[in-house]
Amino acid sequence: MLEVKAVSKNFSGVPAVEDVSFTVNENEYVTLLGSSGSGKSVLLRLIAGLLTPDEGDVFLNGTPITDLPCHERRIGFVQQKYALFPHLNVYDNIAFGLRHRVIDPVKDESIIRKKVQNTIELVGLVGQETKMTGQISGGQKQRVSLARTLVTEPKICLLDEPLGALDANLRERMTIELQNIRRELGVSFMHVTGNEFEALAMGQNMLVMSDGRIVQQGAPQDMYARPQDLITAKSMHNFNILSGDDLSAQLKAGTSDKLPATKLKDAHFCAIPMDKIDISDASAKTSGLSAEFLTSEFLGNKIIYFFKIENGDVCEVENHMSLRERRELKANATYQLHWKSKDILYYGENKQLLG
Amino acid sequence: MDKVVSLRWFLGIFTAAFVLFLYGPFIVMGILSFQQGPEGGPQFPIIEWSTYWYQHVFGLAPPSRIAPLPIGEALIRSLTLAFATMVVSTVMGVLTAQAFRQPFRGSGVVFYSVILGMIVPGVLLGLGMVLLANQVGIDRNWWSTAFVLHVVYTYPFAFLVMLAIFNRFDESVEEASLSLGVSPAKTFRKVTFPIIFPGVLSAMLFAFTLSYDEFPRTLFTGGSDVTMPIAIYGTFAVEIHPNLFAFGVLSTLFSFSLLAVYGILLTLSIRRQNQRASGLQEDIT
Amino acid sequence: MRSNKGTWLLLSPGIIWITLFLVAPLIMMIYVSFWTQTTFSIKPDMTVVSWVNFFSSDTYFGALLRTIRIWFTVLMVTILVGFPVALYIGQFIKNKTLQTALLVTCVIPFWTSFLIRVLAWRPMLGKEGAINILLQKMGIINAPIEVLLYTELSVIIGMVQIYVVFMVGPIAFMIGRIDGSLIEGARDLGASTWTIFRRIILPLSMPGVIVGAIFVTVMVLGEFATASALSGRKVNLLGNIIITQVGSLKWAFAAVAGVVLTVVMATFVAIMLRIVNLRNQL
Repeated sequence: MLEVKAVSKNFSGVPAVEDVSFTVNENEYVTLLGSSGSGKSVLLRLIAGLLTPDEGDVFLNGTPITDLPCHERRIGFVQQKYALFPHLNVYDNIAFGLRHRVIDPVKDESIIRKKVQNTIELVGLVGQETKMTGQISGGQKQRVSLARTLVTEPKICLLDEPLGALDANLRERMTIELQNIRRELGVSFMHVTGNEFEALAMGQNMLVMSDGRIVQQGAPQDMYARPQDLITAKSMHNFNILSGDDLSAQLKAGTSDKLPATKLKDAHFCAIPMDKIDISDASAKTSGLSAEFLTSEFLGNKIIYFFKIENGDVCEVENHMSLRERRELKANATYQLHWKSKDILYYGENKQLLG
Repeated sequence: MDKVVSLRWFLGIFTAAFVLFLYGPFIVMGILSFQQGPEGGPQFPIIEWSTYWYQHVFGLAPPSRIAPLPIGEALIRSLTLAFATMVVSTVMGVLTAQAFRQPFRGSGVVFYSVILGMIVPGVLLGLGMVLLANQVGIDRNWWSTAFVLHVVYTYPFAFLVMLAIFNRFDESVEEASLSLGVSPAKTFRKVTFPIIFPGVLSAMLFAFTLSYDEFPRTLFTGGSDVTMPIAIYGTFAVEIHPNLFAFGVLSTLFSFSLLAVYGILLTLSIRRQNQRASGLQEDIT
Repeated sequence: MRSNKGTWLLLSPGIIWITLFLVAPLIMMIYVSFWTQTTFSIKPDMTVVSWVNFFSSDTYFGALLRTIRIWFTVLMVTILVGFPVALYIGQFIKNKTLQTALLVTCVIPFWTSFLIRVLAWRPMLGKEGAINILLQKMGIINAPIEVLLYTELSVIIGMVQIYVVFMVGPIAFMIGRIDGSLIEGARDLGASTWTIFRRIILPLSMPGVIVGAIFVTVMVLGEFATASALSGRKVNLLGNIIITQVGSLKWAFAAVAGVVLTVVMATFVAIMLRIVNLRNQL
């Protein structure tokens, strides 16, 4: 439905988006993961029509919309910091698009009222209609911002870090609600975020962006288990990345079974899942990668141990409470870390997954 | 610490003296406007308290050797001129400030050219305009040659006020409106303008008061039909009488009522929003 | 979002207006200053006679020097008087409402006609004026001070009162913006009041002084009304020269005086703008 083809954008010579292509299908939830400065917001504004690409084209249902101004694109855009109209109340904020849009404005106030009321129920804002935007909470602002866009029935809705400014509790609830709302309306969502959990949990399809490029796209579960790109692996925050000249020495020390010789030869980086690493005492008979224990972080259902390995890198070990007992480790004492050969992911010089 | 305290006292007293310095002439003017007339002159002592000079201003005093101030028509002219100037310079100020929201080549030159209008002394501009009008062969009138100079003078003020307002303006609300399918023109009417409205009001206030009191530019270019300040300037040459002071007091009161109108408009625009909100509530429940 | 075309479309009314009614008159003034002036008429034949006459005449050249002298005196006095007031409002009044109220108090006189404000000084400074009466009643002086009115002094007093607010405003604005923790920090480190003033307040308030100086300069240099009202036509500034020349239809001469005034002013403003960028002070 939405197709982005080889789109690039420079800001006074500095590339912000480079040769980006992807497709969003009908009735699909797509998430776009990227750190700040990765170009994800610029990409969204290019699609919305708030910026014009230097190169490439955007298609909606097969027709090019690259040259259409923002207000003729019929693409919903929910902004990062809500951007509610401060001089209007909640009801008028939501009715704004229906009343004033260029294409097919609704003149009949009773139809507007019906549509607005339906949307207000959908996003859970009943009873807030007459409040001014300054009188409602952050979560409610988020809902108004969403309702304002959804009531105009766009085919696709772009959401720029929609949960970024909410507290953790609300965030979790909105994650579920956003999915329910989308399913109910049958629109496509493109949700931009810097949070890997959000991206993984919500998307049916997921894009990872870094330095203005899409480095990987695919189903969230594949991304998580076998990231094709080292940047993706890093952004999942689930892998320890080993690198350096002594990479093979580190692997030999830490791997408890046989290593595949061919991959080892080509590997420049390795990723090892944090929850696939075992810890044993320095005195234990089994060999391992020796590491100094720094500190641990207790997160309720799991605990994360931080180690410093010999080349100075930090190595994290995740211990799920349902799988293993909590271990008390001594600070600054040396332990041995080891893992199984099958859990290692190898990356070549070009940072792509090997084999 | 003691030093700071004594410095505070010194500066406090200094400021009080300063305020007295600013207001002294006004107080004297206010007192002398109640001088006995028509014999009492514009100086102390007060012969007898009276409202003679106020009656004189309104033409209610019995005729005497002192000519009444030519206010009637001059006042209407000044108000009309100030109103027209206010409208034109505020509209242009908003448009120009709107253009300045995006960086563009040559913005520095345009900025300083506009600012030049408030910087160039009125006498010079008036002189230049007279020379130009003579050359081109057009008549000088308060509604033509004087009017365009009034706009040249007040437009930079309106522009600066609006520039300061737009500096603090959150553009994302306009983007939100555009992405809801609303055209740029309607976005300006329905979103931008309501939000910047208080700024527009102050720009209008600035333009009106500056134009109303404008005089060096009008002196050469106003032609034979005088505006209020020119009428007052005409009295410089001859002897002054306390009727001028009475008029000063009255025009000050007029300015304050203008200020009050501004305040009321501002409050109303806020209250109207709240009222619309509560009106809707009755509708729904 | 908006094309370059849109920007220029928005700018066009302003640019056209400024070009026709500001730039064109100023160019015309320069042009006419080279015209040939005879007693009763003026011809567009290029000559520098008016220029030569201006600089060789004691009356006119003297007026130029007097204008510069009075401008400079007024500028210095407004800084000396305005700075302490701005310092008090900006730094010593912590309550924002009170601060605004004080600034508004300073601005209120502006809602009275400029000319009437000037005239109000006459009964104040005259031989039988309020100041002389007050001083005599208090026994400070025996005979009235006569230099108060119809002298250069009265012109200076009048101008300072009218224009000092343009100095107070920008300085108070800049001083008010100084972060209070900066001064407290300096005091904690043992800096004396004088050091704080010299090292923190003075440099940070400089842009305000300069903006104020620009305001005062352009207004005082273009002045003529205060001089004609308070000097009894004894003190002639360049502005007054222009008025009388225009009155006697000596256009070329008026234009020369206008160009000279413009050059003096533009030079000063240009120097000031080198020190501070007006656009960044908003």
